[in-house]
Amino acid sequence: MSMTLLEKSAARRPARTGDATARRRRLMRPGVLAGIGFVSPLVAYMALFYAYPLYENVSMSLHRFTRATYVTGEAPWAGSAIYREVIASPQFWPTVSHTATFVVVSLVFQYSIGLALAVFFQRHFPLSGVLRGLFLVPWLLPIIVSGTTWQWMMDADSGVINRLIGVFGVDPVWWLNTDHSLWAVIIANIWLGVPFNLVILYSGLQNISPDLYEAAAIDGAGPWRQFWSITFPLLKPVSAITLLLGFVYTLKVVDIIWIMTRGTGASQTLATWAYSMAFGKGASAVIKYSEASVVGSILLLIALCMGFVYLAVQRRQEA
Amino acid sequence: MNSKRTLATAACAALAVVSLAACGSGSSDNSAGSSGSDKALSTVTFWDPYPQYDDSSDWAKYVEACAPAGTTLKRTAVPNGDVLNSLTTAVKEGTAPDVVLLDNPAVPDAAASGLLVDAKTAGIDTSGPDANLAGPGTVDGVSYGVPIGANTLGLYYNADILKKDGVDPASIKDWASLDAALAKVKAGGDGGITFAGISGEEGTFQFLPWFWGAGAKLQDPGSDAAVAAGQLVSDWIGKGYAPKSAATDNQSASWDLFLTGKYAFAENGSWFAKAATEQKFKAVMMPIPAKDGGAAPVPTGGEFAVAPLQKKDASAHYAAANQIIDCLVGSGHQVKTDDQLGYFAASASERKAQIDSDPMWGPWANAITSAQGRTSDLGPDYTATSGAVSTAEQAALNAAGDAGSVKKAFEDAAGSLQ
Repeated sequence: MSMTLLEKSAARRPARTGDATARRRRLMRPGVLAGIGFVSPLVAYMALFYAYPLYENVSMSLHRFTRATYVTGEAPWAGSAIYREVIASPQFWPTVSHTATFVVVSLVFQYSIGLALAVFFQRHFPLSGVLRGLFLVPWLLPIIVSGTTWQWMMDADSGVINRLIGVFGVDPVWWLNTDHSLWAVIIANIWLGVPFNLVILYSGLQNISPDLYEAAAIDGAGPWRQFWSITFPLLKPVSAITLLLGFVYTLKVVDIIWIMTRGTGASQTLATWAYSMAFGKGASAVIKYSEASVVGSILLLIALCMGFVYLAVQRRQEA
Repeated sequence: MNSKRTLATAACAALAVVSLAACGSGSSDNSAGSSGSDKALSTVTFWDPYPQYDDSSDWAKYVEACAPAGTTLKRTAVPNGDVLNSLTTAVKEGTAPDVVLLDNPAVPDAAASGLLVDAKTAGIDTSGPDANLAGPGTVDGVSYGVPIGANTLGLYYNADILKKDGVDPASIKDWASLDAALAKVKAGGDGGITFAGISGEEGTFQFLPWFWGAGAKLQDPGSDAAVAAGQLVSDWIGKGYAPKSAATDNQSASWDLFLTGKYAFAENGSWFAKAATEQKFKAVMMPIPAKDGGAAPVPTGGEFAVAPLQKKDASAHYAAANQIIDCLVGSGHQVKTDDQLGYFAASASERKAQIDSDPMWGPWANAITSAQGRTSDLGPDYTATSGAVSTAEQAALNAAGDAGSVKKAFEDAAGSLQ
């Protein structure tokens, strides 16, 4: 896949660009000017749509913005005061812990189910293509539809899930209440994320040479051994990128949670908290732009840290 | 039921997208590029929170016909929850519409944030509507607009179920008799009561009749009376009188549950009065009982016609706003406007004619006359209190009857506002 191609070219690069004088000469060529010309639209785009909003977000978190700010333009400088207020608020640490649970549990299940299905579909059998296609449905459905359906299925009094577990003698669960809502949204989010993991891991599997499996089979390795000694190690680069993307996606999930519970009770994550404060929705009736940007900045920092972790893992794999 | 519920949720949750879109489209406006003072307008803009009426609807045509002479009116429908945020952006960009129909609890917040021009400056006549309905439009003694009409909450009941389970609706006069009726219908194998306890303003709106009916005041959401109201709804969940989904149901979803014909009671709005007459079962409305008898004070719903602050050509915009508002709610026009929306006319004399002309409205007459503005007590501070009350109600519903948790929830709510 593209991953491995990238790695190959990365491995080749030092040999080609080793000559420093050649590089300097190339920089002065007139072609470089044209190159800058070609790059500038991208730079302008990045500045306008990435750097500027990011700057505004951070600036908002350092000034006190209210609704009136938009009319009067008055936003007094607050420094780190709003950060301290948000972190000291009684909601902060519980919300962080909900977010951590939501992300970690979602990722573990999405990845392992996705990987199991990918390995399963690697063996071609009649209708395997159709079945694999069907597994993409959660990904293709608008979340408003799937979220509402989950909410309906998890209805405490007449939901199909409670009826199903009732068959096995389990008492009905009030899925969407304060205590259980985190698990309710995690279940829905796992279902939602499996196709993404399945698709990427499946295409990663296509890059593992069948020869390896043949050789292993001749050496007498069973399927279990083949998985742990061939599939899993060779899939590591793909797994790393899947987990990183999954982490970032899961961290910023608002829609499915909002549709199911409006972020009430244990289902309040940093992302839904920021959303409710930024728009004055749900439990946070008063609009709190600055506090929302603080949470937004914290989310960005966490995602950034994960990015560095990914880079470190990748470097270790290349070494 | 499902599709309706999906639609309602879809509308609620398209929020982010729509508010972004609204930011973008806010600038497609009036007299673009004009400079200097007070050029005559060729286009006037109008926002309302009724996306259910598209451009080809009667409502859209009715509004468009209100364009001042020599102008065309461009109507934009913004989902209710997004109007205030979109308006904030539009005022900032100097592209505010000439007239906005703003949900009444949002008016003090908008006025205090400087988004609106006061009625006197804009020349809007605010003398018509009844004081209780005009209340939310007055902030610190300054009036900011006129109610386009009003609606309120009542207690619908399924007469067929009550008859089957041997409950006489006339016996329901206070909370104790209501609970007794709920116990009877539950014993008869039927569902009790549906209501919308969803987190946010909609949930608070539906909780207020019980809150006020217990004698609680918004100034003190931690009072014993407030706890009693929380305990009432909490017990409904705990005893199985109300569906657990009440904690996440909005008013459309709870209405859909009532329409299944499996529930005896439904707390819901006068805007469903017409739908109630069209069911397979006999749905009747009664005033919501207060704790110790009599009708509980109910909150007024409905929008205010307000004129946002204009940065350019202000007086021309305000004059246009004035004409549009007069066309919609001036004397003699109210009933026609409100019949389109399923609202009550805001001035007593016009409302009397409206109620007399349709027996469906009869039971609602007293409710609307005695209804209270949500923001009348607190003004702009209502928004924060509403959020705290909503959080407390959520906790009470989740407590499913546990008195200690209910008490703590309301005490926490009071504490969070200090």
